[in-house]
Amino acid sequence: MAGKVAAREQITLRGSASIVSEFFSYGINSILYQRGIYPPESFTREQKYGLTMLVTTDPILNNYLKNVVGQLKDWLCNHFVQRLVVVINSIETNEVLERWQFDIECDKTMTENSQPREKSEKAIQDEIRSVIRQITATVTFLPLLDAACSFDLLIYTDKDLEVPEKWEESGPQFINNSEEVRLRSFTTTIHKVNSMVAYKKIDSF
Amino acid sequence: MSVACLSCKAGYRMDDLGENTTVFSTLRSFNNFLSEGSAPLPRSSEPSSTSRMLQLQYEQMIQAEEQAEYVRSHSRIIEVEREKQKMEVSHKRARIELEKAAQTSSWNYEREADRNLELITQVKHMQEKEAEVVAKLKDQIDVNKSLKEDLGLQSKKLQDKEEKHAETNQMIDVLKSKISEQQRKQMNQEMQLTTLSTERQELLEQVEVQRKKWQEAVQRSQVLEAAQVVIAEKEQRLKDLENKITQQEQDSVIVKNMRSDLARIPELEKELRQLKEKNAYCKEMEDNNSLLKEEMESLRKKLQRLEKVKEEKVTLELEKEKLLAKLQSWENVEQTSGLNIRSPEDLSREIVLLQQRELVLKQQNSSVTTSARMLEKTRQQLQDEVLKLRTQLLSEQKKREQQEANARRMEKRNILLIKARDGMKGILDSYDNELVTNYSPQLNRRAREAEDMAQELHAHISELELEAELSVLQSQLAITDRSITNEEGNVLRQKIEELEAERSRLDQANKVLEMKLERYTLQGDYDPTKTKVLHFSMNPWSLAKEHRITEEKSLKEECEHLRERVQILEGGAVPEQGGSQTNLPPSQEIAEMRKQVNSAELKNQRLKEVFQKKIQEFRAVCYTLTGYKIDVTTENQYKLSSMYAEHQDDYLMFKATNSLGAKMQLLESDFSNSLTELINLHLHHQNSIPAFLSAITLDLFSRQTCA
Repeated sequence: MAGKVAAREQITLRGSASIVSEFFSYGINSILYQRGIYPPESFTREQKYGLTMLVTTDPILNNYLKNVVGQLKDWLCNHFVQRLVVVINSIETNEVLERWQFDIECDKTMTENSQPREKSEKAIQDEIRSVIRQITATVTFLPLLDAACSFDLLIYTDKDLEVPEKWEESGPQFINNSEEVRLRSFTTTIHKVNSMVAYKKIDSF
Repeated sequence: MSVACLSCKAGYRMDDLGENTTVFSTLRSFNNFLSEGSAPLPRSSEPSSTSRMLQLQYEQMIQAEEQAEYVRSHSRIIEVEREKQKMEVSHKRARIELEKAAQTSSWNYEREADRNLELITQVKHMQEKEAEVVAKLKDQIDVNKSLKEDLGLQSKKLQDKEEKHAETNQMIDVLKSKISEQQRKQMNQEMQLTTLSTERQELLEQVEVQRKKWQEAVQRSQVLEAAQVVIAEKEQRLKDLENKITQQEQDSVIVKNMRSDLARIPELEKELRQLKEKNAYCKEMEDNNSLLKEEMESLRKKLQRLEKVKEEKVTLELEKEKLLAKLQSWENVEQTSGLNIRSPEDLSREIVLLQQRELVLKQQNSSVTTSARMLEKTRQQLQDEVLKLRTQLLSEQKKREQQEANARRMEKRNILLIKARDGMKGILDSYDNELVTNYSPQLNRRAREAEDMAQELHAHISELELEAELSVLQSQLAITDRSITNEEGNVLRQKIEELEAERSRLDQANKVLEMKLERYTLQGDYDPTKTKVLHFSMNPWSLAKEHRITEEKSLKEECEHLRERVQILEGGAVPEQGGSQTNLPPSQEIAEMRKQVNSAELKNQRLKEVFQKKIQEFRAVCYTLTGYKIDVTTENQYKLSSMYAEHQDDYLMFKATNSLGAKMQLLESDFSNSLTELINLHLHHQNSIPAFLSAITLDLFSRQTCA
């Protein structure tokens, strides 16, 4: 972080990992608010990326997000992460209704000691802002989530990664009969994040 | 010092001039003295004295000059001494001044050195201050930049806010306009409503009027329908009668016609006879006519044939004339052609001769054309040969040139080699000349080396020659190869086309697979050998599931508990036997509830008893006071039996027509049939049931007492 503040035009590996994990933290909060997974009164407003972002105040949820995002940041510095998926499923029927998938392409040649890359923080913020705005706009065409829903965060990592203590392996939680939409992407020149959303097709009679 | 010197020199010059003037003045005085002294002498002797005078003068002059020179030098010495003194004085002065100046300059120097130090320290201070100021400046600049950025951000925020404000204002304006429009619309609609309501009222009135009219019309229509039915029947009768009338008229007409016909019959018979006679006559005439017609037709045909014959004759005459002309021309041919022709046979002979000549000429023509073609072929062959020879010439010229060039190169190399060899020889010779035997092995070695070099060079040259020949041969081969490899080229082209077709197919398959891959990655597919999926154990979904399961369990337990309680409550008599702790607290409630229930039941029972008593009392009182026992048999039907009834079956039935029982009707019964007089009197005329009942009582009472 010190390196990012001193020279605003240069991005190190650590700086890029922190930008990406921060984006995920705010992006997941935004998705939870937009899709109504948690009641809207449990969210508070914060200013970030030049927008008014909604962040949850539920302590259990905050703790969970901190754990996941912290581990993700650590893995990002070591190029272990390939994908992050937010899975939204119905509590009653236990079936997957939506899948928000974020592919992460990282430049493997970049290490802790490599020369920092040139990209202005403002440009990255603009790209992130457009991605968040697009996530907000997708609400218009996504199908309504009637029943009570819950969510889970899946991380696709390298096969030979050591599984940490509180983590476990899981299935990919595909949606059968899905529609997919590709959204915008942003890049810090070290990590590139592609976003897409898949939702269950509504059966029409 | 220099100033002092200059002043000294100037003084010297001035003195010199002054002394020069004194010297000149002394010289002049001396010369004047000499001239005065010598003045009388020149007058005494003129010719020889002049020379002596002259000599004397000359000697005087020389002496004077010597004295002058002595004086001059003396004066000069004095001057110089004076100058020297002056110089010394000036020197001293200068020295003093110099010392003073040196002192002052040293003091100045010290002062200036001090000043320099001070200035240097000041400069250092200033530099430090400058550096500080520069640092401050930079900080301030950074601060300024940050502030500017903040300002920019804030200005952007402001702009966004302003834009939002503007948008909201626009929205507000739009909404206000919409509201005003809506209000206008509302006003309009209210106006319309009022107008419509008034119209509606009017229309309702009209509707009523129309309804009345309609009712009248309905009545009228009914009346009209009845009338129409009657009219229809009458019309039918009219039609029947009219039919009968027409039939009768037709019969009368027929009868009339029959009468007229009968009257006509004799006339008709007469006419028949006449007509038969005419018929026979006509038939005869017809036969004649037909015969005549046939004759006429035959004559016509003959006419036509004759006309045709005439025409043919005309044409034949024309042809005859033509043929005669031809004959004459043929006969004249003899005269015109000049040949011995008198008859067509001669002509044919001549023709045959001409044809034979023609055949001969054609043969000659064909032979000539074949020879011409042969010549052309030979000419083309010769041209081709010429071209080939020219190309061969050119190629051979090129070869020759190449070989000449090679030969030149070889010669040059030869020359170089010869030179090298000569050089080496020279070296060897020189070595031989200079040194004796000690260096011979080395020289031999060198000679061997040189020979090896020469051999290598020879080999190299031969290789190059071979390469040159090979290149020439290859070029020749290439020319020949091109012709041979056309077939191979076709085969290769086919192969290339096949491969390109395969490549395009593979490209399409590749594209399809890439699209599938893209779809699968969008759906979240992954390669299990390289990736695995992890998630946090304590994730919200599993927590929600567990929560749900626990909720279900708790709900089920509650359900079971409640069912047990319900069963216990329904059991009722043995509440305490449950033995579970949950039953003890509710049993108090159950006991209270039971007490309440019992008390309510007791109350009910008491009320019932009280009501029954009261009712019985009331009924007994009614019976004794009015003399009738009133029973309710069925709903709304009341059976009255009198106290003084003679039989037990004598009863009256009344039915309540009104729900309140205000109006009653008497029903038929055996007893009532025997009371028709009373019924007529009291019920039909007086319309009073109490009077009727009291009359019956009196009547029965009187019967009882009497009997």
